[in-house]
Amino acid sequence: MTSENSTPHNTPQDDQLRQAFRTYAATLSTDLTPPPAAAILFRAERRRRRLAIERAERPLLIMQSLGTLCAAGTLAWLAYRFAPHTLPALNTTTLALTIACTTLILAGCWAMLHASRRTSA
Amino acid sequence: MPSSLEHAAATATVLSELAFQRLYDANATSIHSYLLAVSARRDVADDLLQETFCRLLLHPETAARLDTLELRRYLFRIATNLLRDRHRSGDTTPFADPPEPTTHPSLDNTIDIRTMLQALKPRERELLWLAYVEGMDHAEISNATGLNRLSVRTLLFRARNKAKQFLAPARASL
Repeated sequence: MTSENSTPHNTPQDDQLRQAFRTYAATLSTDLTPPPAAAILFRAERRRRRLAIERAERPLLIMQSLGTLCAAGTLAWLAYRFAPHTLPALNTTTLALTIACTTLILAGCWAMLHASRRTSA
Repeated sequence: MPSSLEHAAATATVLSELAFQRLYDANATSIHSYLLAVSARRDVADDLLQETFCRLLLHPETAARLDTLELRRYLFRIATNLLRDRHRSGDTTPFADPPEPTTHPSLDNTIDIRTMLQALKPRERELLWLAYVEGMDHAEISNATGLNRLSVRTLLFRARNKAKQFLAPARASL
């Protein structure tokens, strides 16, 4: 602590400054009452739980976003295919598969949303 | 009946709480004073003190590999970063409510130091406090503030000179 990097400058002014600072710190220490440690432990525990929930929900959020994108894409494609002009009509199998996929995606999104809300609560 | 594993886990939790209590008792007052001297607001000092220890608790692996002295410096580092974040966010009421001690062992010094702190920049307050109250050298201040060691030397020199100007009238009046 007393290398060439050390702070002590022992001029009378430095001593006076040091003394003034330490006196002030001592008076502050006497007056201050830090919050109880239990309050900090409680705050840390609450934050730890919130972070854990956020971590757990992250995959759900990603899947929800992907599901929404898929559903939107499917709907757009369906609208394009059913447009009355130029395009040929869908055959029955393709139509059934498309509807089934869309239903599954929407059901999956709803299930994940429901599950994540229950976890947050 | 609780298994031995559950009992061990419960004991570990109690011990860690006790260790935290000891750590808190040893460092809270000095960090609280530091935060109050730099921020000049009791509510901010209270909040940042809680946040400082809260962050330590959220990274127990860091706390586990540091000894007592390193842990103290680490706490000052967190506190300094929080002060800086607050300053950057623009939430800086400059000494609107300066800390006013109710006891005055040396009235002249106390008044001078408050006037001086009001005139100094937050970073200068940080550096002077760490150097004079905590007794840190340049390397330790560099660790606690994240500043380059040479910058610490220069900034501390300037802060010291600035602070001395406020002590001069008091000396002259003696």
